[in-house]
Amino acid sequence: MIGIVIEALIKSALIAFVLLTAFAYLTFAERKIAALMQVRKGPNRVGPWGLLQPAADGIKLIFKEEVMPAGADKVLFFLAPILTMIPAIVIVAVIPLGPDVELFGRTIRLGITDLNVGLLYILAIASVAVYGIVLAGWSSANKYALLGGLRASAQMISYEIALGLSIIGPIMLAGTLSLQGIVQAQQSSTWYVLWQPLGAMIFLIAGLAELNRAPFDMPEAEQELTAGYFTEYSGMKFSLFFMGEYIKMVAVSAIATTLFFGGYLGPFVDKLPWLGILYFAIKTVGFLFLMIWIRLTLPRLRYDQLMAFGWKVLLPLALFNVVITAVVIVFVG
Amino acid sequence: MSDKDSLDNMPVNEVASDSLVARFDGEVRSDTREGYEGYIVDANMLPEVASVLRDDLGYDYLSSVTGVDYIDDNHIEVVYHADQTTGGKGINLKVQLDRENPIVPTLVPIYPGADFQEREVFDMYGVKFDGHPNLRRILMWDGFHGYPLRKDWKEAYYEEDIKPFDSRWPGGGVKRSEADNPYGKNVNYPPGFDINNWTPETDDSLYESLEKTNSNGKSLHTDSIVVNIGPQHPSTHGVFRMVVALDGETITDLQPVMGYLHRNHEKIGERNTFLQNMPYTDRLDYLCSMSNNLGYALAVEQLMGADVPERAQYIRVLMAELTRISNHMWAIGFLLNDLGAFQTPALYAIRARELILDVFEATAGSRMMCNYMRFGGLARDFPDTLRGEDTVKFITDLVDNTLPKAIDELDHFLTANEIVRSRCIGVGVLPPDKAIAYSTGGPLLRASGVSYDLRTADPYSIYDRFDFNICTRSNGDVYDRYLVRVDEMRESTRICQQVMRDIPAEGEIFSGKPQYSVKVPAGESYGRVENPKGELGYYVVSTGKANPYRYHVRAPSFVNLTVLGELCKGHKVADAVVILGSIDIVLGEVDR
Repeated sequence: MIGIVIEALIKSALIAFVLLTAFAYLTFAERKIAALMQVRKGPNRVGPWGLLQPAADGIKLIFKEEVMPAGADKVLFFLAPILTMIPAIVIVAVIPLGPDVELFGRTIRLGITDLNVGLLYILAIASVAVYGIVLAGWSSANKYALLGGLRASAQMISYEIALGLSIIGPIMLAGTLSLQGIVQAQQSSTWYVLWQPLGAMIFLIAGLAELNRAPFDMPEAEQELTAGYFTEYSGMKFSLFFMGEYIKMVAVSAIATTLFFGGYLGPFVDKLPWLGILYFAIKTVGFLFLMIWIRLTLPRLRYDQLMAFGWKVLLPLALFNVVITAVVIVFVG
Repeated sequence: MSDKDSLDNMPVNEVASDSLVARFDGEVRSDTREGYEGYIVDANMLPEVASVLRDDLGYDYLSSVTGVDYIDDNHIEVVYHADQTTGGKGINLKVQLDRENPIVPTLVPIYPGADFQEREVFDMYGVKFDGHPNLRRILMWDGFHGYPLRKDWKEAYYEEDIKPFDSRWPGGGVKRSEADNPYGKNVNYPPGFDINNWTPETDDSLYESLEKTNSNGKSLHTDSIVVNIGPQHPSTHGVFRMVVALDGETITDLQPVMGYLHRNHEKIGERNTFLQNMPYTDRLDYLCSMSNNLGYALAVEQLMGADVPERAQYIRVLMAELTRISNHMWAIGFLLNDLGAFQTPALYAIRARELILDVFEATAGSRMMCNYMRFGGLARDFPDTLRGEDTVKFITDLVDNTLPKAIDELDHFLTANEIVRSRCIGVGVLPPDKAIAYSTGGPLLRASGVSYDLRTADPYSIYDRFDFNICTRSNGDVYDRYLVRVDEMRESTRICQQVMRDIPAEGEIFSGKPQYSVKVPAGESYGRVENPKGELGYYVVSTGKANPYRYHVRAPSFVNLTVLGELCKGHKVADAVVILGSIDIVLGEVDR
């Protein structure tokens, strides 16, 4: 019993640490990739190739003044960044990072846990994150923030439905809600992206919208709302929002990898289970790169176009996808 | 060619003069002062004269409205410049008003484009425009006392009327005027003003004046909110403020508020000598200093009757057209930024612009503040080498290969982009009649299908020698403005190619001998150029002294903003930003 608790604690601490580091270097990677795509050099002053830049940024943010707007609702204003940050980390708990491995004579699951309702858990937790954004917009007593919060709530509601429907496909194919189960099901068939190309597409698009990443970054649209819902935030509270967004990026990439791209599967994983983590990381990083690439390439949609796209295009397509999948499963098997 | 043109144009002006003077006998007379032209109109007859001018004589485009304070004659003159969009020389009308109580009927109902310019004259001279819908200060703040461009208005730390100041020159020792005038001693507070009990004006009246509607008031009660976009905002392209009334995300009314960068450019210009103003024009539209220089040089050369040598003319055109390309690159790049593209298009656009700035730097000595033109020529000729290459070869290669390629690249990646199209098409539509009525200029006017470009409408410098098209589009939306800019860049490279082909290899670049102080005969002149952003005009009045008596800048960005509120109504917040970006303003020029 104690062994299980210690194992869970160690794994949790390790994953939290990895995620926070990933966040820091994701911001760095984004800046470097942006620079390379935009014929500039990017950060190159702090440490070799600018590698210590995230550390410098972190130190700077910690020592920044925390400004509390006079008209703000203090409790909610304080709570909002936490509400955005926590769910982003918690989501990762159910994602399998590799097959079981033997270590110190124990069989250890790579991944914190394997809930049999893992996907439901993910959807439930992801929905909580929007409260952080809405509350931040509402409690700041700032009109830009308010508009950003309103946009966020409308956008999340519209896209969560398409997101939820797009993952029905893998569930039906695998016959389980457990992520570990879905990965293993892909071992016997093949990556679900081949069976569910439409579903994967919808998942990625809705995922971007859920993340508030470009071209769906309406709630924080710099050119329109200065910084949207976190206009009034500074210092560590600001960076918590930032952290939440980037960790969610990692989480969504990881989920996409798991559901559609075979998770940790790859050649020789059955012989060398540790390779699973490597495959998983490579696939996740690929999605992260895709997200950065999209941000650097596309202009932003307009708020009403975004809503129209969500309700009139994505939702029917997702429903269609579910129906087709069901029909094929019933008749073809 | 040019002889024939002037013959063609002559009769129009003759007809104008004959019929104006004949129809309004005694109320309109020719301006017969030495060095002046145009007509002097009785104040109360102005709206009728303007209607005749617009409807019967075809002067449908009000270019400029400004004032001059003739303090010795005890009157303030309001000067109007009008044009035909079919081309030809402009016409100017003047109204002479009593300095104590200057009132003149507004022209806003006839030429809506007079709106901001009349407010500026009110702000600077205290001329009341009877019937103006919104006669408030525009560049100064509402609580400001006095009218800064009147000749008897003195600023804090006032030293002398004209430069060079005795305290600095020729004695040589720098003595700062602040030493003589510690703050407070020479500041004139308005009567009844108490600094200790002063509270700054609020903008409540402005907020209340906004039109607010509840579009779905029937079913659901909604409140509109007023949002200040700016003065500190990432997308206002400087310190510019849009006061916006919103119903949800839909704009019901928008009022531009400007003047945060106001430095009384024109007063300083009247204090400078003629030549001292040249570097000062760089600071107007700081992206287009070369063509700013050109406009001012033309205005003063008109007064002086100076000749410009052949080679200098070619270089002037080359520089003006390179400026146009670099400005449009910037405008397109930042339009994409306003659309939410994360800097990438902007940086690629700037990369091409960088090479143009290299040419400016090597030739004029500065990348942006070029200070390159002189009255009667240029400051310097091309350098021998540029970036290690022969200058002529470098520029030829630039305009033949590099720039067309860069333009094609932008065109290739942006024009067909689905998101760009869906964000831009049908947004901020400006119909042609409104575009003319609001005195808009540049790509904004031509995207609405009005083929009006001073380079052909009233050719200056040597533009009549080149083969190029005036680019127009018909829908007048943001997308068409973007397309017109792309087309114009292509035409500009064509002009540059012709310049590099035809330019005399050797020759003078300056007529006469260089001097610090030029002799400018008394009179008025209105020198104007087609700047990348629209018509840039300089109204200069000389009394024969070393300083201009009046130096007015008709800034295209400023006038183009008149129509902004109209364009944004009914669109979303995100569109307002894009529409502003598509108008392409520079605050240095708006606020002056």
